[in-house]
Amino acid sequence: MDPKANLEVTDTARSHEGPIETDAVIVGAGPVGLFQVFELGLLEVKAHIVDSLAYAGGQCIELYPDKPIYDIPAVPVCTGKELTDNLLKQIEPFGATFHLGQEVSSLERQADGRFLVGTSKGTRFLAKTVFIAGGVGSFQPRTLRLDGLDKHLDSQLFYRVRDPAQFAGKDLVIVGGGDSALDWALNFVQEGPHQAASVILMHRRDGFRAAPASVARMKALCDDMQMQFLVGQATGIEERDGRLTALKVTGGDGVTRTVPLDVLLVFFGLSPKLGPIAEWGLGIERKQVVVDTEKFESSVPGIFAVGDINTYPGKKKLILSGFHEAALAAFGAAPYIFPEKRILLQYTTTSPKLHKVLGVETPVFD
Amino acid sequence: MTHVVLESCIRCKYTDCVDVCPVDCFREGPNMLSIDPDECIDCAVCIPECPVNAILPEEDVPQDQLHFIKLNAELSRTWPSITKRKPAPPDADEWKDRKDKLSELIR
Repeated sequence: MDPKANLEVTDTARSHEGPIETDAVIVGAGPVGLFQVFELGLLEVKAHIVDSLAYAGGQCIELYPDKPIYDIPAVPVCTGKELTDNLLKQIEPFGATFHLGQEVSSLERQADGRFLVGTSKGTRFLAKTVFIAGGVGSFQPRTLRLDGLDKHLDSQLFYRVRDPAQFAGKDLVIVGGGDSALDWALNFVQEGPHQAASVILMHRRDGFRAAPASVARMKALCDDMQMQFLVGQATGIEERDGRLTALKVTGGDGVTRTVPLDVLLVFFGLSPKLGPIAEWGLGIERKQVVVDTEKFESSVPGIFAVGDINTYPGKKKLILSGFHEAALAAFGAAPYIFPEKRILLQYTTTSPKLHKVLGVETPVFD
Repeated sequence: MTHVVLESCIRCKYTDCVDVCPVDCFREGPNMLSIDPDECIDCAVCIPECPVNAILPEEDVPQDQLHFIKLNAELSRTWPSITKRKPAPPDADEWKDRKDKLSELIR
């Protein structure tokens, strides 16, 4: 899967003159970040939620979408994707605003006690409270390591496609064996405004982790001489006048061939990187945010950390622990957001007020 | 707590694990990897990546390999960091099912 930014959201965010003022910003849209929306929602706190991926679900979606999870209470088994879909459905009443395809890059306390939160896309928030649900970090593309290749990044080497039009009419080499590599190869072969001059797909073996229909379509296009598929490993590059001109590919037969190109697209999947949280002035222990177990608040009042990113005595990295943490963090945050209000614990089964918040009818019992 | 690289890694060193580590806690020796216990955050992402199941959380390390907990800590002090996957040794597959490889370890 390739992150495709939700342009509507990013454009709306960009068109704001100043930062977005809000009660709560959640950093990370994994299962715990999503459930944080729910717990805040019950306390009538609306949240903005940021994630580096272009979709919600975090590790559940990126690492194990189809693998079964057996330890969610009252759900005997569900996949990572099902868990994410159910959480998205569960938080629907609370209308959280998603800011996807961007990572939180800065977090600073302001003179008025609020936090200025900035993202890699320039979205800014002024928030009364911040909930860090960053898991094991933000997912970044895995890179192709070849001597001298890095300097061509964003001119001839790309790990994601932001604007397909820039590759029209070019000789493309696409590396990878997953859905992203296949989908983009098919996309650029197709007649239309983005059609490339030529497309060569390269993968280290003749087997793919991609939709069988895409693989079949790719093979048909190769048979029809509309594109080419090569089995091999990239082992070097060729340059002329500072430009990347060709990729050296060593095949299964041990022979190294030179493949000329204008543009190299690499899709090796994503892996998490913990990123800049250490720079936000929070108490950190082994790269995780130290929190109390009463409110899951960090060393900075108003900043909470929930899920895999926090640490405390006895911490276990379980989704269910994250859910518990999110509930207590929401109650812990309420006094910052509603200093005057007395916050009572209410039950979704019986509270007419919560029924209103959830947008459901209060059942009548005879 | 930390995660630990066990005996199976010796002379195999597939390095699939280092690509996924969010905190770059793997260290590379001549024929084995180790995990720096001061850096590992127990995220467990590396466990399923290893083709020979050489990585386990500290508390799951089998009785006969407990010495690897200390060994990982020790080796990580001198071995350099590795953050990108590289080809396994050519004879890795021949060693992957072998037991008692500790004598093969090159420090």
